[in-house]
Amino acid sequence: MKYLAGRAFVALLFLWTLTGSCLGAVDYDQLFRQSSDLMAQGDLDGALALLKQVPTPAVEEEAGSFVSSRMQAARILASQNETTKALATCQEVLKLFPDNSEARNFVAALKDQLKPGWHTVLADTLRFLPALAKGAVMTLLLVLCTMLVSPLGGLLIALGRISTLRPVSWLCWFIIWFFRGTPLLLQLFFIYYGLPSLGITLAPLTAAVIGLGLNYSAYLGEIIRGAIQSIDHGQMEAAKAIGMSYGQAMRRVIIPQTYKRLMPPIGNEFIALIKDTALVSTIAMVELMRAADQLFNTYFNITALVLAAVIYLVLTTIFTFIFEKIEYRAGIYEHR
Amino acid sequence: MSIVSQPLLKLENITKRFKELTAVNGINLEVTLGEKLVIIGPSGSGKSTLLRSINLLEEIDEGTIHFEGSEVGYLLRNGKRHLDRPHAISALRAEIGMVFQHFHLFPHMTVLGNVMEGPLTVQRKSAEEARSIATDMLVKVGLSDKRDVFPATLSGGQKQRVAIARALAMRPKLMLFDEPTSALDPELVGEVFDTIHTLADEGMTMIIVTHHMGFARELADRVIFMESGNFLAEGAPEEVFSKGQDNERIRGFLNRLL
Ligand SMILES: Nc1ncnc2c1ncn2[C@@H]1O[C@H](COP(=O)(O)OP(=O)(O)OP(=O)(O)O)[C@@H](O)[C@H]1O
Ligand SMILES: [Mg+2]
Repeated sequence: MKYLAGRAFVALLFLWTLTGSCLGAVDYDQLFRQSSDLMAQGDLDGALALLKQVPTPAVEEEAGSFVSSRMQAARILASQNETTKALATCQEVLKLFPDNSEARNFVAALKDQLKPGWHTVLADTLRFLPALAKGAVMTLLLVLCTMLVSPLGGLLIALGRISTLRPVSWLCWFIIWFFRGTPLLLQLFFIYYGLPSLGITLAPLTAAVIGLGLNYSAYLGEIIRGAIQSIDHGQMEAAKAIGMSYGQAMRRVIIPQTYKRLMPPIGNEFIALIKDTALVSTIAMVELMRAADQLFNTYFNITALVLAAVIYLVLTTIFTFIFEKIEYRAGIYEHR
Repeated sequence: MSIVSQPLLKLENITKRFKELTAVNGINLEVTLGEKLVIIGPSGSGKSTLLRSINLLEEIDEGTIHFEGSEVGYLLRNGKRHLDRPHAISALRAEIGMVFQHFHLFPHMTVLGNVMEGPLTVQRKSAEEARSIATDMLVKVGLSDKRDVFPATLSGGQKQRVAIARALAMRPKLMLFDEPTSALDPELVGEVFDTIHTLADEGMTMIIVTHHMGFARELADRVIFMESGNFLAEGAPEEVFSKGQDNERIRGFLNRLL
């Protein structure tokens, strides 16, 4: 009888704890035993659930059960490689009992584990590199396409701006005004998500190149216009004086002299472009940023982001170097 | 013979205004084939504007320009003057060479490239032909050894001689010189004058704006003294320089130069 009553009492208590209520000092041996059984059967999640039922202690006598339940849970979590969750569980104990040595030692051990060793970083790098490399190739493709399109677009816009034909000049002014005055992200959204409602559906890559191309054409347009207008007016007069047309003078005399002046600002724009390509990750393009983001979200591993940063740096460094070389070459007639 | 008596260039009532300022005020001028005309006058008197009007770098407000007997540069459309079509203007400029005070060589081209540029791009000659013309012109101005360098390495006098060669490569019928030696150190003036002298001896028709009276006296068939957009005196050099002593303005100008 007495045994049965005891069983009933424990069962009742079980129900109470399930609903989160607690009346006083209770012995949780039973619960521990059950959770040990579950662990033995390999049902770690079940064991965890049971352990989590031990509430924060209301009276001093419960402190022991609470601490042991949480530490047991932490061990289970740690064994499942859920290091962050294990740490959080230990913190529960330390919040109430800051001096508990078991919890403190365990935390220290876990933190040691969190610090990645050489081999883990290397393993992660090798694991992430293929996906990141694929993303980097896409980024490079975007950069190269935009670098091809935008100087031409920029030249047209610049020539349009300085044209004496008013409507042409106004149109080019408007293009510059619009594309420099609104966020690139918004322009990309408009081209990729907005144009379909006008019946124009574009592939992500096409939309990205159009968006980046227009945006950078507008920026380069102003830079090129400035460079053209900075060339001594006497050059145009001398060209005209030997009978050149406006177009011939531009092509043979004026524009070639802008190259050297254009290189530093255009180099700057293209460095910015390499980083701006990250924005197209928002329109369903898997380039470097998106690839890194996907890896990070899958593995919750910061190595992916660090690697992406390194690849961006490598790209920008290479381009900086190339532009410096071109700048020197473009101005060679001044050095000799 | 009518062909001989017909002037190469004839300006009638040329007027150019910049807003309310009249830079050239109803000028009449005839230049015959082979003539060497020197224009002198104080700063701001309109000498450059007159030269620039001749090869249409300035659009004049009134007057007509005849070159080789036919009117050039402007069209009447709906009773209003307009600049002629671009290709007609370019065609006229191709026949008139101009040399600027500040040379305006193309810095991104070699010396040879500068001189070749007209024949190559404007006259669409082959590179070979353009190169041979350019080489001849560089020999003429005494700079064939500099053909492969960039203008930045040349002295002022050398630059101006290259600029003359560049203009000559187009085989112009008239040469305009706008103060060709004003930007030069005194010791470099001589070489440029010598080059112009050689041209003059070959019979080139030329209009020269200069402040060097000695050069004007020596070279000119005719000297014009210009002030405030008008011709104040005109005639043979001796005439203008001596008779000019009667005119207070001209006397003052000449005295300041000497
Ligand atoms: N583009 C322009 N816009 C306004 N005014 C001008 C312009 N070009 C020339 N002028 C003015 O026209 C007048 C004549 O100038 P121009 O350059 O023909 O004189 P110049 O006789 O060649 O003088 P200089 O000996 O200094 O070269 C000057 O008062 C000048 O300020
Ligand atoms: Mg002048």
